[in-house]
Amino acid sequence: MSDIEIIEQLKQGNEQAFRKLVESYRKLVVNTCYGLLHNREDAEDVAQDVFIEVYRSVDSFRADAKLSTWLYRIAVNRSLNHIRDNKKHRWFSLFESDVKTENKKLLQVESSLTDQPEFELENKQRAIILHQAIGSLPEKQKVAFSLSKYEDLSYQEIAEVMELSVSSVESLLFRAKKNLQKKLYTCYKKKCM
Amino acid sequence: MKCKDVNSKLIFFLDEELPATEMQAVKEHLAGCTDCALFAEDMKKTLSILETEKTPELNPFFYTRVKAKMESQEVEQVLNHRPVLVRVLQPLAFSIILLIGIYAGIKLGATGTTSKTKTVLAEQDMIPYWNELDAEPIESFLME
Repeated sequence: MSDIEIIEQLKQGNEQAFRKLVESYRKLVVNTCYGLLHNREDAEDVAQDVFIEVYRSVDSFRADAKLSTWLYRIAVNRSLNHIRDNKKHRWFSLFESDVKTENKKLLQVESSLTDQPEFELENKQRAIILHQAIGSLPEKQKVAFSLSKYEDLSYQEIAEVMELSVSSVESLLFRAKKNLQKKLYTCYKKKCM
Repeated sequence: MKCKDVNSKLIFFLDEELPATEMQAVKEHLAGCTDCALFAEDMKKTLSILETEKTPELNPFFYTRVKAKMESQEVEQVLNHRPVLVRVLQPLAFSIILLIGIYAGIKLGATGTTSKTKTVLAEQDMIPYWNELDAEPIESFLME
C-alpha cells in the first residue's frame, strides 16, 4: 500500500490503513521524538499522540506533500511542546524532585555495574553527558541536529521539515556542532565522567 | 596547526566535513599531540552513542496502545463536550436542592422543639389514663 493509498483510505476511516501507517512509520516517529526527548517512555508516549493527531487531522493533509515530512513536523512540534511543558512543571516543582530524578539516573547507572561489563557503565555515563549537552542547545539547533544525527536526514530534508532554507539549516547545524563541541570539551576538562 | 584550532574543528573532523587539507593537518597534529588525541578519542566515543541509539527496540504493542489511548481520549472528549446548560444547570440545581434541604431542616428543627415540649406535657397528662402500669405498680396490681 503506497503513502497516497494509505492517506486516501485513512480519509475514509479505514482502520487497516491506520494500522499500516502506524506499523510503517512508528520507528521514524519514535526515533524523532527520542532524538529530542532522550527518554524511551516519553518518546513512545509522544509518538502515540502523533499518530492520533495524524488520524484526526488527515483531512487537512495536502496530497502534494510528503507523508514522512508531515510526520516529522508533527513529531518535532509535539516533542518540543512536551519539553516546554516539562520545563514549566519543573519550574513549579520543588528542588527535591530534581535531585530525585538525578539520583534515579545514577541508580540506574550503578545497578548496571553488578550485572554488566564496565564499558556499559561508561557508555551510560557518556549517554547522560551527551543528552544533557544536546538538551542545552537552542531549540532550532537541537531540532536540526537530532534530525541530522538520529534520522540521517539531508540538509534539504531538514529544511523541508523545519520550513527553512537549506543555508539556514547549514548554519544551524554548524552552530549546533560548535556548541556541542564546546560543552563536551568543558566536560572533558572538568573530568565530569 | 595549534591545539586550540584542532579542538575547535574536532567535531567536524570526526564527521569528515573538513576540506582535505584541513583533514590532513588535524590528522598530523593528533598523531603528535597526546592531549588532543585523548580528547579526540573521548569525543569519538561520546558521539558514537548516537549511532547505538538510532536503532531502538520497537514495542510490539505500540499499535494497541495507540488505539487504547485514542479510545480513552474519545470518552474524555464526550464527557467534556456536554452541553454548557447541562454543565452549569446541573450543579446549580443540586445547590438549590441542598439549600432548600438545609432551610427545611432548620425550619423543621425549630418547629420540632416547641411541639416537643407540648407533646411531652400532653404525654405526661395522658399517662395515668393510657398506661396504667406507670400509674399503678405491678406488685399492687398482682396483689389485687
